Amino acid sequence: MGRSSLRRWTAALLILGACAPRHRHPRLVRAPSVTDDAGRTVTLAAPAQRVVSLAPSSTELLFAVGAGRQVVGRTTWCRYPPAALSVPVVGDGLEPNIESVAAVHPDLVVLYRSPSNGAALTQLEQLGIPAVVLRQDRLEDVARDARLLGTLTGHPAVGDSVAQTLDVVTAGRPPVAHVHIAYVVWDSPPIVIGAGSFLDQLGTLAGAQNVFHDLRPASAPVSLESLASRNPDVIAVVDDSSAAATPSFAQRPEWKAVPAVRAGRILHLPGDLFGRPSPRAAQAIAAFARLLNTAK
Amino acid sequence: MKWGGLVGAALLTLTLAVVLGPTRIPLGELAGSEIVRDLRVPRALLGFLVGGSLAVSGAGLQALVRNPLADPFLLGLSGGAGLGAVGAIALRLPGPWALPIAAFAGALAAMALVYRLALVSGAALDPRVLLLAGVVVGSFAAAITTAIVSLSEAEQLRNAFLWLWGGLSGASWTTVGVLAVYLPLPLLLLLGSARSLDLMALGDEPAGYLGADVTRVRRRVYLAASLLTAAAVAVSGVIGFVGLIIPHAGRMGWGHRHRTLLPVSFLGGGVLLVLADTLARTAVAPRELPVGIVTALIGVPVFALLLRRWVRA
Repeated sequence: MGRSSLRRWTAALLILGACAPRHRHPRLVRAPSVTDDAGRTVTLAAPAQRVVSLAPSSTELLFAVGAGRQVVGRTTWCRYPPAALSVPVVGDGLEPNIESVAAVHPDLVVLYRSPSNGAALTQLEQLGIPAVVLRQDRLEDVARDARLLGTLTGHPAVGDSVAQTLDVVTAGRPPVAHVHIAYVVWDSPPIVIGAGSFLDQLGTLAGAQNVFHDLRPASAPVSLESLASRNPDVIAVVDDSSAAATPSFAQRPEWKAVPAVRAGRILHLPGDLFGRPSPRAAQAIAAFARLLNTAK
Repeated sequence: MKWGGLVGAALLTLTLAVVLGPTRIPLGELAGSEIVRDLRVPRALLGFLVGGSLAVSGAGLQALVRNPLADPFLLGLSGGAGLGAVGAIALRLPGPWALPIAAFAGALAAMALVYRLALVSGAALDPRVLLLAGVVVGSFAAAITTAIVSLSEAEQLRNAFLWLWGGLSGASWTTVGVLAVYLPLPLLLLLGSARSLDLMALGDEPAGYLGADVTRVRRRVYLAASLLTAAAVAVSGVIGFVGLIIPHAGRMGWGHRHRTLLPVSFLGGGVLLVLADTLARTAVAPRELPVGIVTALIGVPVFALLLRRWVRA
């Protein structure tokens, strides 16, 4: 990745920062209505003022569209932005605890689209609590959901500008790939990231070609032999902790058959920025490109 | 003749497992290929050892509890191993071998607990009490496992369940070496009990009259079968059907004498698991299927055919 494209991402970041406060419209938007990622029509009487978010990605997005002050409940795992930490926790989000969600009297609940959330959705509907289902797997999803959450929380212009910034980022011509990469998310069995993931997108935009780009799902178990024979230059792992310790699989004898593991070419992507698709895509791509350059 | 066929099948499947893989490697380059040497060969050998151990363990347990439905995981070992594995991941135990060692320890703990519970029925380990103890301990371990999973960060533990479904991706020369040293003892213990197991099919009392020390044989078979299963689950997770189907298939072809049945089960289990793993690695390459699914997909139809032939004969 060249210096000029770095500058482009920095510019995109600046646009995002500059847009956010200027376009905030305090006036009420009448009866916001959207179609969510599960194909449901969600109509509110007025923009939501008490929002419970049950996924880290939607919590971050709510703060990004300027609705941070309206968030009254989050999960244990919603730790970004730091301001989110002061929001009360209503559960760990795996199997939403509807009772503690209802206890904070939300006028909107944001759910991640997953089979285990189906029952929660039904319960919320029975309680008359509006819910919106989001599926944020790729950067396009983040852009679409930024507009959607902006509309529902009364910040359509901010939502729109967040989305536009992401659109600029995703529409940008990717640099020529100079690194072949494999993203290992689990080691026994080996699971790698495929084309369906935002990580594949971020990598492409940062100049790294995913050697498992031919896999369509976001992630899939693969044989170690395929990993060895596709011979990526580096292995990327997403770390939750800031301490970038060598992953323990790198010490296992069978993993030494992968040349990048044997040579210790392991790229640590901090989970805070790379653990989920976020509106900070431009920042993530710039950080990724820097990491790739130092890894070489 | 039948023995020749079985040994031939074993050699053929092992050869196939080394020749076939997600990467195309020309026959001439097989010997020099690092992938073949460090991944395919140890994986084929590990598959054979694990499949064989599971089948022998199943054959022993079916005779012990006198129940054709018995399989190596009936007596709570999978629950214990799962708890160990999930605990290791949740506590972030460091080191490359944390997961298999924790799973092995969990399986052994479950084994000891089941054994202790079954002793309430007396030193002779009443099969019915043994079964109950196994189911109870297994459920208890599964409950704790689920509690840990629902109380900790979701993503990594979902992967722990994937590990439990079974697979041979952890194969290396180290794991093959460890099993090659470990397995002979429980295998020989079971083989040494072969004649007593035959007698016990007649019932406890007649077996006693004919010279079998029922109390000691039961304990020995239970411990040996559990040790085999614990090692298998530690290196490859819970692989189903091999331990259930192969002993039955062996009885259809070779009769009920355990001196024959146990070695036949070992070879048959090895063949089935290596064949299943070769399919799991290559069918949807570069992706990989959980091998337990493939053992069921191959094992069940073959078993149905055998059953038909056997009933007609």
